[in-house]
Amino acid sequence: MIQQEIPGKPITVTINGKEYRANEGEILLSVAIREKIEIPHLCYEASLDPYGACRLCMVEVVRKGKREMATSCTLRAADGLEVLTDTPEIVKHRSILFELYLAEAPKSDVIRDMAARYGVTRTRFLKRIEQGDPLGNKCVLCGLCVRACSEIMGAGAINFINRGPYTVVNTPYYAPSRDCFGCGACVRVCPTNAIEMEDAGAERVMKSWSGTRVPLSPCECCGRYYAPRELSASVLARLDTPLKEEIARLCPECRGKHIAREEILAKHGGSAKHA
Amino acid sequence: MDERTLDAIIARHDAPAGRLLGILGEIQNQEGYVSRETLEMLSEKVGVRISQLYGLATFYSYFTLRPVGDHVITICMGTACHVKGAVAILEALEGLLGIKSDVTDDGKLSITTIDRKFTVEIARCFGACSMAPVLRIDGNLYGYATPEDLPGILGEYGWKP
Amino acid sequence: MRIVSAADMEKVSRSGLRKIRPEKPRIAVGLATCGIAVGGMRVYDRIKEIIGEENPDIELARVGCIGYCREEPLVNITIPGKPLVILHRVTPGDAEEIVRAVEKGEVPVEKALCRIPLWDHITGCTQEYGAGFDGIPRYEDVPFFSHQKKVILRNSGLINPEQIDEYIAIGGYAAALKALSGMAPEAIIDEVEKSGLRGRGGAGFPTGLKWRIARNAEGDRKFVICNADEGDPGAYMNRNEMESDPHMVLEGMLIGAYAIGVSEGLIYIRAEYPLAIRRLQTAIGQAREYGLLGKDIFGTGFSFDIGIATGAGAFVCGESTALVASIEGRTGRPHPRPPRLTDPGGGLFGYPTDLNNVESWCNIPVIISKGSEWYAGIGAKGNSGTKVFSLVGKVDRVGLVEVPLGTSLNTIVFTIGNGGAGNKKVKAVQTGGPSGGCIPARLFDTPVDYESLNRIGSIMGSGGIVVMDEDTDMVDIARYFINFAASESCGKCVPCREGLKHTLLILNKILAKKATKKDLEILSDLTETIVATSLCGLGQTAPNPVLTTLAYFRDEYDALVNP
Ligand SMILES: Cc1cc2nc3c(=O)[nH]c(=O)nc-3n(C[C@H](O)[C@H](O)[C@H](O)COP(=O)(O)O)c2cc1C
Ligand code: SF4
Ligand code: SF4
Ligand code: FES
Ligand code: FES
Ligand code: FES
Repeated sequence: MIQQEIPGKPITVTINGKEYRANEGEILLSVAIREKIEIPHLCYEASLDPYGACRLCMVEVVRKGKREMATSCTLRAADGLEVLTDTPEIVKHRSILFELYLAEAPKSDVIRDMAARYGVTRTRFLKRIEQGDPLGNKCVLCGLCVRACSEIMGAGAINFINRGPYTVVNTPYYAPSRDCFGCGACVRVCPTNAIEMEDAGAERVMKSWSGTRVPLSPCECCGRYYAPRELSASVLARLDTPLKEEIARLCPECRGKHIAREEILAKHGGSAKHA
Repeated sequence: MDERTLDAIIARHDAPAGRLLGILGEIQNQEGYVSRETLEMLSEKVGVRISQLYGLATFYSYFTLRPVGDHVITICMGTACHVKGAVAILEALEGLLGIKSDVTDDGKLSITTIDRKFTVEIARCFGACSMAPVLRIDGNLYGYATPEDLPGILGEYGWKP
Repeated sequence: MRIVSAADMEKVSRSGLRKIRPEKPRIAVGLATCGIAVGGMRVYDRIKEIIGEENPDIELARVGCIGYCREEPLVNITIPGKPLVILHRVTPGDAEEIVRAVEKGEVPVEKALCRIPLWDHITGCTQEYGAGFDGIPRYEDVPFFSHQKKVILRNSGLINPEQIDEYIAIGGYAAALKALSGMAPEAIIDEVEKSGLRGRGGAGFPTGLKWRIARNAEGDRKFVICNADEGDPGAYMNRNEMESDPHMVLEGMLIGAYAIGVSEGLIYIRAEYPLAIRRLQTAIGQAREYGLLGKDIFGTGFSFDIGIATGAGAFVCGESTALVASIEGRTGRPHPRPPRLTDPGGGLFGYPTDLNNVESWCNIPVIISKGSEWYAGIGAKGNSGTKVFSLVGKVDRVGLVEVPLGTSLNTIVFTIGNGGAGNKKVKAVQTGGPSGGCIPARLFDTPVDYESLNRIGSIMGSGGIVVMDEDTDMVDIARYFINFAASESCGKCVPCREGLKHTLLILNKILAKKATKKDLEILSDLTETIVATSLCGLGQTAPNPVLTTLAYFRDEYDALVNP
């Protein structure tokens, strides 16, 4: 269920001792992003419900002199809310979490750079390296691709498979999916660039998703194949004229991504762009 | 599973609460596993994406995706059974059946003998902890099991040394 | 027939009483899962073979389980005018002798465990069985029973769980009648609040308060759910409560639903309990026939019905948000709270939902029947009432033990359980299952209540008590629990999914004698982070077995670790 954001009344929250304006009920992490206060995060996406899986965005909430840890992506702004983002406690746990991520996604540059930014450059845990991993040992199971695919696109082509430490994301039976639109929304939202997609002639190949192939439609002017056939039809049917014209102005390389983005905007009015 | 049987199962689960797991549970109980064909047919019939059904079937330990042998032996690996020697039972069973159990890449433990007579699985407690260690064969519980009892118990199901 | 008045109830009650205490001798075999597993069904079948299908002189019945597991199969015999006698360790070979004795108005004395001349079912019915059989020990003198107080298990093993009339005969559904036709919903909630009842699912949240929140939650449609997932491997009291006295659960839910103002109820029960599922289905069917579930109950205009949803083998689905997801047909991956189940948008299908454990519901009929003051008088301050524990593992007298909260571990393990099995020395107990901790024998004077257990690093949990003796390797136990938690993790959040996996790898390394002091340091850093940052209760509590064994049995780790 997506909760529509109705801007609440203006209030003040305190982050690291400084006061900021916010709307009541607003997600604290989004306040921090707006105010350029760095809080690491992997599973937050403004157009989706708070999910709270990556645990990197934890902050300390100060209440009546007591401190309590909470994820800032699920914390709602209320008047007088006071949080600290870099206490020794937070740094300690965050570092261990980064070590766990470095072991889980050893091939991800994004994770490596992010961890380094928070002072973690090595992990004490055994690295997981799996030959032939469709996600290139980069996936951190943030779930954004799964949620974008089902909650935003309505395709439901990919999902979590198994449970606990055996969890992976892929298509059912690791077989090419008939439900995939080839929209690339998953590729776009993946924070670790783990998902591989390639356009080959008249087809788009979702290499990470069991080699799912989706037919593309050719550009009317230059004849180049550029967007999934089914998807562009459904998106174009919904777009109003100015947007159609805007699409016409875009270069073919960007259109595929743009269509996915328009779809997201059309449905939820949020930003599909991941920070 | 044939279509009629599946339709009947679906019809029995008409309330929305507990529907999908109830249907999958009955498929598992009747067939001993959940086949790909059945899952795809179910997906069509109830209008739920196959990715969601496959997600359920692999998340919950109650479901098995591969066909099982004639008799399913389930060893309890709950706490009471663990402290009372469930591991020794499992090892003795492996010895008798000539198999080596190991978790598969989906994290479930299920192994079938080559002659497809027996499948060995593990469970987390049947609620008969006072009789630990406990094992179950095709729905019959055996309490206070010892490795020495196994040949006799297996004999009831046609096992020969 | 529909029951709408006290008079109707009385009529059914008389018919039930004739079943419990017919004018001829009754042989009742304990047939819960546990009794069946050790041959109870074979005993039943053999007796039936001897006495025939319909015997004019002897009644053969099935009852639930009285909980003295070590002595199963249990058979009880009532001969009119004589005390009820419990026979223990009965085999099919004993059947002949039992039947012959009963025919003569006797019982096989050497098979007798104890006699019960008088039994108080608490909900308004005291059974005066009669006098005699003086050579058989009294129930109160059997050491396993003498320190117990049966409130929840008041009917367990004495009535036929598949006969609603028998439940009504011992005062069942009278509390529901009293509540629905004579009490305002708020007054019921007040009563439950004053009783001091706290949730028996583990966390000990005040039940009355939860009901009030659910009642006050906005929305016309709401749910009540009974959590019968009983995921702690080694705990089986909920199974026995449902198998031996299912109507007690239904009656509790009915009263709760009326108090909260709900017309839809569900029982979420694990698929591994097929007998409990069947008995609940039977019970629901019978309650509907009497109009105790369905529309216009007792003619009060109040409607309520209960459905059953089965789990499918996932420990995490005992957690409230995962449980709801599971019922909705999704994978049991918890979501962050708030919203809580009682919040609009947070419960089942988005409707405010009250979730209580099986045993929490079981307490409701007695509270209404006897009043909050009576109930609050049992147990300790802030921890009122009794709790059923499953005392298992390496203890002499395994079984279900019901004692007032605040009873010490010493009493439970030594006085009632008679210490280690085979004269071994008891080393520790694990309470609270995979979320709890290992408590060393030197702390056994600790009273078993929510706060005291927390103070020593464990939790009450659902009531599993697993006893470990001098032969138990505590590091192996820690590994066992971490292995359990890791494979039961839903896999959503990284500290639990990855952290527990690495905790397990380190423990394996320690047990293989390949670890160094440094690994122990990593182990304690890692477990601290798992506790502090995991999304749900599973991850937050999973390290407890490691933390407590490290605290209390550090020497066992040190002995395995290289400098
Ligand atoms: C991982 C996990 C497993 C749980 N398993 C159970 C269970 O099997 N049975 C149960 O009643 N409560 C279980 N709980 C607690 C429930 O979430 C919930 O608190 C409880 O059912 C509320 O009922 P109560 O207030 O009557 O105790 C579990 C909690 C967690 C975090
Ligand atoms: S593939 Fe990317 S978006 Fe999908 S779960 Fe993995 S890290 Fe997240
Ligand atoms: S703590 Fe474990 S079980 Fe709970 S949400 Fe996280 S991964 Fe899932
Ligand atoms: S962004 Fe908050 S938990 Fe991932
Ligand atoms: S622990 Fe094995 S039956 Fe409960
Ligand atoms: S013997 Fe029945 S509960 Fe233990």
